[in-house]
Amino acid sequence: MTSPDSTLPASPLGPNAGRSTTHFFLSNEFGLILLIVIFAMIFGATAQGFLSKFNLFTLGRNSAVNIMIGLSMMTVIVTGGLNLAVGAMGVSVAMTCGWLIEGVGVPWPLAILGALAFGAALGWINGAMVVKTGLHSFIITLATMSIFFGAMIFLTRAESFRELPSAFSTFGRMKFGGYLSPLLLVTLVVALLLAWLYRRTLTGREMLAAGASPAAAELSGIRVDRIITLCHMLSGVLAGLAALMLVARNGAAIPSMAGQLGQDWLLPAFLGPVLGGTLLQGGKVSVLGTVLGAFLVTMLSSGLLMLQVGAFWVQTFLGLMLLVAVLLDKARRSYLARRNLA
Amino acid sequence: MTQISRLSRTDWFGPLLATIIAIVVIRAFSANFLSSFNIQILLLAIAVNALVAYSQMIIIAIGQMNLSVGAIGGLAAISFVGMIEVWGIPAPLAVILALAIGVGCGVINGVLIRITGISAFVITLATLSIFKGINLGITEAQPFYGVPDSVKAFGSALVFGPIPWLVVPTVLVAVGLWFMLSRMPVGRFILAVGSNEHAAGLSGISVGATVIIAHGISGLLAAIAGVLVVARLQIGQPSIGDDWLILSFAAPVIGGAILAGGHVSVSATFLGVVIVAIITQALVLFNIDPFLVQVVLGALILAAVGLNKLRARAPIGQGT
Amino acid sequence: MKTYIHAITMAGLFGTAAATSALAADDSRFGLIPGGPHPYFSAWEQAGADAARDYGLSASEYKVPQKWELSQQNQLLESLLSQGYNGFLIFPGDPVGAVSTAEEISGYGAPIIAGAGCYKDPSPAAFCLGTDTGNSAYLGAKELIKAMGDGQKRIAHFTGFLVDPNTQLRIDAVNRAAEEEGATVVQVIADIDAPEPAEEKINAYLAANAGDVDGIITTAWVPAVVAANALRKMGDSGIKMVGIDHDEVVLQAIKDGVVDGTMLQNPYGQGYVGTFALDKLRSGCTVKDDAPFGSNALTDKFIDSGTAYVDASSADTYLDAMRAETDRLLADFEEKYLNCN
Repeated sequence: MTSPDSTLPASPLGPNAGRSTTHFFLSNEFGLILLIVIFAMIFGATAQGFLSKFNLFTLGRNSAVNIMIGLSMMTVIVTGGLNLAVGAMGVSVAMTCGWLIEGVGVPWPLAILGALAFGAALGWINGAMVVKTGLHSFIITLATMSIFFGAMIFLTRAESFRELPSAFSTFGRMKFGGYLSPLLLVTLVVALLLAWLYRRTLTGREMLAAGASPAAAELSGIRVDRIITLCHMLSGVLAGLAALMLVARNGAAIPSMAGQLGQDWLLPAFLGPVLGGTLLQGGKVSVLGTVLGAFLVTMLSSGLLMLQVGAFWVQTFLGLMLLVAVLLDKARRSYLARRNLA
Repeated sequence: MTQISRLSRTDWFGPLLATIIAIVVIRAFSANFLSSFNIQILLLAIAVNALVAYSQMIIIAIGQMNLSVGAIGGLAAISFVGMIEVWGIPAPLAVILALAIGVGCGVINGVLIRITGISAFVITLATLSIFKGINLGITEAQPFYGVPDSVKAFGSALVFGPIPWLVVPTVLVAVGLWFMLSRMPVGRFILAVGSNEHAAGLSGISVGATVIIAHGISGLLAAIAGVLVVARLQIGQPSIGDDWLILSFAAPVIGGAILAGGHVSVSATFLGVVIVAIITQALVLFNIDPFLVQVVLGALILAAVGLNKLRARAPIGQGT
Repeated sequence: MKTYIHAITMAGLFGTAAATSALAADDSRFGLIPGGPHPYFSAWEQAGADAARDYGLSASEYKVPQKWELSQQNQLLESLLSQGYNGFLIFPGDPVGAVSTAEEISGYGAPIIAGAGCYKDPSPAAFCLGTDTGNSAYLGAKELIKAMGDGQKRIAHFTGFLVDPNTQLRIDAVNRAAEEEGATVVQVIADIDAPEPAEEKINAYLAANAGDVDGIITTAWVPAVVAANALRKMGDSGIKMVGIDHDEVVLQAIKDGVVDGTMLQNPYGQGYVGTFALDKLRSGCTVKDDAPFGSNALTDKFIDSGTAYVDASSADTYLDAMRAETDRLLADFEEKYLNCN
């Protein structure tokens, strides 16, 4: 029903020059940019200190983590699946990193690599089970969320790793020009790499094809099982990166940092991709949209906190926004569909 | 021999066997396990958890999922106590209003899913956040203490022996659900929509109404569970419902429910709840680390879906 | 430095409302930040408001993170700093993980005092003002052992979040008291400072092991409430119990003889004295180098906000005990701990 153009992954650098400008103005990404600008103006005008350097710095740093969580979910949504275990996997990776440094004595760059590899392994478990059993990833990752988190808490006795090298907290507090966090740069580099993956590489195109129609992809010679497993592994690595950024921010690996069972990551994980126009059925992805969506969410939470509307209502607003966003997206799609039919 | 193989095809046989074995084994190791006080504690846990599981089960029956079960339960729980404490209305009226809120939340879910055609997952993720946010906004995460004595008394009263009054609503709900799913048209509609929405629509069933009714029931059951937790904890705690999600899927799945819809079992889901409660209890009895409860729950879900998958290869009837 | 932070935080696009005030005395806006929503801290709200009124501050507000989670607390603190709050009484969400944010805040010149729980040294907090939790748990255990009298002394210990820096101190202190008195701690159940899991775990434990326990000590708010309710439900079990804090349920149980006593803490005093000290620190006072700080496992700059044992005879007048502790603390606070010129 949608036009052929909109099924192409969006470039992180903006719309392709060849596309008609009206099309761009109807795109999800443009809507998000518009919303971000509008809300930035509203908050800047009404919330005291919203545009201060320190707030811009923390905004960038917090959105770096949220965007990464959104990207982690996005890589699995591409296949038409879900990964409820993002939080549990992320925390497990962070704790592994802490253990490698404190318990084993591995130097920290190696520990980070080792921990991310562990994240990939957890993703492999998810992917392999989804593929082998043929069950929907919802129920598989619901179970593994419980298992990963439970095992992590059992092994760590719910105790934090607090003697990490100062490189972590230094990195988390570093500022470029007074307001730019290097964490945000890490996230943006990862987003660029993902955009490149989906647009320019065979593997990326196979991921999209496997998500759009597994049967057709299989017929055209794509090894769908391997591709799906790969997507889950990628998700594990990205979830791990998000958690490691939190470790850098806190200077400690804390088991409770994603809430009970890692459930606190679920909402940000879905908000980014869904607002960004990634289809839950799979097959279509928008890296730029996910980045913008997650950034919008972070900005809204920050602005609402600053307006002192009551920290406790923020969650309601985010839920309402998710609802409004999917409704708007629905309306936009049917509008586009009608115009194409006409 | 054929008798056994037929039995093994039913949903409740496997879980029942597992329940009995678990009871026998644990009793052999710990004499306290069947003490009257321990049975009472077990029943209290089962009473609430069964309602939580049924709340999810009815949605699984129509082939959807409801992530907001815990949020609805929590919202009903705090509005129940909140209305009593702030407005001073009598407890029975507050119960009715709290349950109405639950039904309302469920209907909102159902209507949104139906009119937008967006997946239940996204809609209930959004409403989970909205309902939970309203809960936190009202309470600022502080509990309401104004639980009236009548409710507290209900929460700790015993019918006879070790049977607490709290199990009575659960038993009524279970019987009602069983009757509805197996004997009433609306139950048949729900299962029909779950097995094949398109075919159900063609055969004259109003799919929209059925989906909304199922979500309304789900909201009602979650709200009852929330009110019962208040009676048990004797406090209107905003965090009620936060950890219901995993359990709500575990018990129906252990009870043989098929996540694609159309096939659920009231009795086997109940046994699923019993198994989970016994295992949780056993871990405490044997001083096994409570942290392992989560691992065991996750493993149980995996084992159950795996077994269901195997069982599904052989044709089975639509059981209850 | 203070004016610098003001210049930054107030320079919103149009937000100039409070930008001009340069007087230190009445532009003090303090935030009292607990680790998460918890009844223990609700006394901070009144304490902050009272102190702001008594000392003529523009605000000393109690702000709660939505959840008991470090990242929520961090975001709240960042937001408040950006809004121009310039002094904080903080319960660290994690003794080490919270230091990073505290350093950022103090980098902008806002003084920080750790309240109710401490940062692990080194930290930018001026000092830590809290219950000497180890001592409180130790004294509570001693009272419990006294109440159990002769015969077997098997103690079950129910305590709070493992992420709370105080929890380990409490576990160690109870063990120490038990060792000294020839009692044994047969079970420690931790991480249960929320009603649902506490209800399940404590009841399940008592159901199975009531006969093997002679006394219960609880060193966190919710377990105290749940255990008091459980003992009431069990009737005449012969189990002695010493709780913690001043929840209505616990106090009523003490009056009814179900529970033997409770260890009071002094959250009101923390909020009030904390605000007082923040104001002093902002107006140029410094912490004395030779101040008579106590020390615990986390920090060497510890000030005890007071603790008191309340039993049936004093359950009605527990508020007086709290106020007495606050007055005692405030009386010589300035000359003991601060250099003000």
